[in-house]
Amino acid sequence: MTGEGRKAAVTHLAYLDAGSGSLIVQAVVGGVAGVAVAAKLYWRRLVTRFRRQPTDQG
Amino acid sequence: MTVPDTGVRVEPGSFRDPGNRVFHRAGEVLRGLDERSARDWRALSASDLFRDLTAAGHLVGTEELVPTPVDVPWAAVLRHDRIPFVSHPYEWSYAMLRDAALLHLDVLRAALEAGFTTKDGSAYNVQWRGARPVFIDVGSFEALRDGEPWAGYRQFCQTLLYPLLIQAHLGLDFQPFLRARIDGVEPDQMRRLFAGTRRWRAGVPTHVHLHGAMQARHADASSSDVRAQLRAAGFSRELALATVRGLTRLVRRLDHRPGDSHWTDYQRTCAYSVPDRQAKEDFVDRAAAATAPHSALDLGANDGRYARIAARHAAYVVAVEQDPGVVDVLYRALRDEGEGRILPLVMDLADPSPGGGWRGVERAAFVDRARADLVLALALVHHLAIGRNVPLPDVLDQLAALTEPGGSLVVEFVHPDDPMARRLLANKPDGLFPDYRWDAFEALLARRGRVVARAELPSGTRTLYQVVMGG
Repeated sequence: MTGEGRKAAVTHLAYLDAGSGSLIVQAVVGGVAGVAVAAKLYWRRLVTRFRRQPTDQG
Repeated sequence: MTVPDTGVRVEPGSFRDPGNRVFHRAGEVLRGLDERSARDWRALSASDLFRDLTAAGHLVGTEELVPTPVDVPWAAVLRHDRIPFVSHPYEWSYAMLRDAALLHLDVLRAALEAGFTTKDGSAYNVQWRGARPVFIDVGSFEALRDGEPWAGYRQFCQTLLYPLLIQAHLGLDFQPFLRARIDGVEPDQMRRLFAGTRRWRAGVPTHVHLHGAMQARHADASSSDVRAQLRAAGFSRELALATVRGLTRLVRRLDHRPGDSHWTDYQRTCAYSVPDRQAKEDFVDRAAAATAPHSALDLGANDGRYARIAARHAAYVVAVEQDPGVVDVLYRALRDEGEGRILPLVMDLADPSPGGGWRGVERAAFVDRARADLVLALALVHHLAIGRNVPLPDVLDQLAALTEPGGSLVVEFVHPDDPMARRLLANKPDGLFPDYRWDAFEALLARRGRVVARAELPSGTRTLYQVVMGG
């Protein structure tokens, strides 16, 4: 329920590796403007996924 | 990159960034830079940022060797001011770790405003001059690429923010967490510690739970892809600055005082009568004056009374105390006085910091760092010999090993009939320490050095010795 039991992600990140999740979360931490950036990032990813699908099948 | 043998000793703790590496030569602390790092350094050194941070004492004094030495394989070589005593974050008190975090954020904010950033965000970027934190990783600065979040955020969380949250919100000493894990506490572990209603404590929902969830979700995404996507989505320098401001506000809010729960040990100093204390202070003052030490080590420093006396005569004093709460109180006092020559550290002398990290040498063990010209071991020996069962000869061997040859050990013997010793002995089976006697103690001292001063305190149950070791 709290999410602890889920599969452990590979989080053994190297030094000087910023970590993808750690980069994205900073947008959210940065307040309203940051949440907008995060939302835009996810929206673009979603759009890209839907656009790609027909071409992949064709 | 390998360094040819030219009298150079590479710092074992400096290999994580292949672009620059600290080494020692002829007593100097040098940093070799590759081409790219040299370009970053030259941009930094020409900036107001560098001038201002250095002038404020926030950045370790650094200059480039010109011309670049030809016998080392680097594009540029820097010389740093020496840090008098290198310590590790798990040897700091809570307020020290918090001030180190605030310094790191302050340096980062100034860097972002000036068009720079830092490559990492580790607690190990900070060292101390007495009670003043200083940012030492000059190789960490690079030009800011607009639209990119801080690459050091994850490390900042793991080595600075999370330990602070653990202590402030859960009341657990943070030091064992950092000592056990060189890269700090991971978000995944933090989420387990902060389950249930604890998840709503300050800073926890975002920096712990959301952070952990994001890491799990994006474990397969490359960080360079994510950087590009964030830039395209409009991430800006202002946003990066807002994140730093938010972190700074959070760390300021975490103004926890571990001293509240640790004061039980305080009676160790309060057990003294006034004449005893006066006699002891006079003895320590005379011994320190006679030694004129460069470095001094106060073992079992408690409220720092004797470390301060040592500092009248020594260039630098490291004051080691087992109780994190007591160290925190001492640190706050020294910080408020602006003291730059007394460094307080948390250390259990029966379990001092071991070597850590790669091959056990990346973070040097305490006993490999801590040799001093003057070593104070006041009201300490009975705690180790009776309280912790360390054989008396072993206690003295360790004290001797910490004293430079020709330096002075000032040691107090608490007789078995002293009230404090009696209390410790009452918890042990009868007759467990037949060799804990002043005559046995004096014989052991004589075998390790020359007793040059001896004084019995007025109470008659404690004796002080100044021993010149091996010289």
